[in-house]
Amino acid sequence: MADPLHQFKIEKIVDLPDITLPVVGHVDLAITNSHVAMTVAFAAIVLFLTAVTARAQVVPGRLQTVGEGLFGLIDNLTDSIIGHEGRKYFPFVFTIFTLILGMNFLGLMLAFTATSQIAVTATFGILTIGLVLIIGFAKHGLGFFKLFVPSGVPWILLPVIVLIEFASFLLRPVTLTLRLFGNMMGGHVALKVFAGFVVTLGAMAMAGGFGLLGIPGAMLSLSLVTGLTALEFLVAFLQAFVFAVLTCIYLNDVVNLGHGH
Amino acid sequence: MADLKQSAPAVSTHGEGAVPAPGATHEAAGAEHGSGGLPQFEFQHWGGQIAYLLVLFAILYVLIARVFTPRIRRVIDERASTIAGAIEAARQVQAEALEQSRAAAADLAEARSRSQRLAIDARAKAASEAAERSAAEDAKLAVHIDEAEARIAAMRDSAMAHVGAVASETAMAIVQKLTGKPASAAEVKSAMALRGGVA
Repeated sequence: MADPLHQFKIEKIVDLPDITLPVVGHVDLAITNSHVAMTVAFAAIVLFLTAVTARAQVVPGRLQTVGEGLFGLIDNLTDSIIGHEGRKYFPFVFTIFTLILGMNFLGLMLAFTATSQIAVTATFGILTIGLVLIIGFAKHGLGFFKLFVPSGVPWILLPVIVLIEFASFLLRPVTLTLRLFGNMMGGHVALKVFAGFVVTLGAMAMAGGFGLLGIPGAMLSLSLVTGLTALEFLVAFLQAFVFAVLTCIYLNDVVNLGHGH
Repeated sequence: MADLKQSAPAVSTHGEGAVPAPGATHEAAGAEHGSGGLPQFEFQHWGGQIAYLLVLFAILYVLIARVFTPRIRRVIDERASTIAGAIEAARQVQAEALEQSRAAAADLAEARSRSQRLAIDARAKAASEAAERSAAEDAKLAVHIDEAEARIAAMRDSAMAHVGAVASETAMAIVQKLTGKPASAAEVKSAMALRGGVA
């Protein structure tokens, strides 16, 4: 059976000379299958949004309805979670949402899922938390640290609460990263394993004799793969949505610091 | 991030002959890959992916913020204003229709009251005319009746006068027969007057 982890292997397509940066260190520059997947997702998003907005009508067509649906979904999120300042952060949330959604969906149709690479999900997580930190310090200066001191807590509990809040804040990028990564990778491994069963059991049936028992097993596996594929499409959308929701919530924490709690 | 990059060569460079990572031994790398390490933790590929993703993210962010969001917002706002305008127009038309129907109802009510008034007047006029006519007839009839009564009374008086004469003659005859001597007319007359007075 094929190694279910093989699909996550980074393959170089065009190798470029490596460089060594002073801080980062050794960087392997190459155009890999990950780069291709990201590019295809990016191009698909740009094409989709261009098609949606190029000849936008007051009475929308089908494609425009889908595009405006996605737009409205995120617009409602930023408006309802962050509030009246939400519009300012809409492009950021929408960019993250569409990129993750595009990569998730393309991973189900192409051979490579960019969002199953922890480097990619970590980039999204750190971007989000980085923006949260920047906004927090830019808006509130050192008042940003009030984020760790919820109001209305008895002073005797304060040290514990502050510690917990601080740890939970530190874990935010980690959970953002791992949730998306784990969901994508787990789904694709499960799909690959069950698809592998179909092939293996089918090969057993070809040999005849007892191997014919493999046929119902292969059929079961195939139906499972079909069902899982549908489920994975749901997960692909849901994870992108969850990422967008959490981004909004974390942004709200610092945008409305002090009067949101 | 920096320590990740530096630890990368020690993790795995399996099957990458073109990249002899400094300080990495191929035996160790092969053994590690064989033990089933996740391909995602081959850190030498992280830098390229992250940098590329950041570039794509930045481009997409600018496109979305500068091009796509304003376009979609414009269409949505336009739609909202179109709908609001249509609703406003519909409301106006409705108000107009309401006003017209109210005016029509008022006209109708006025016409009905006028017609009722007309009907009442006509009825009153007819009634008064009828009363007048019947009064005239009554008066005419009363004249006739009076005349007839007067005639009857005259006839009765003359008849009564005749009755007195007949009675006095009869009484004189009866007295003559009974007493054998004639009674004077004056006596009979006084006797009858006495009787008639009593009667």
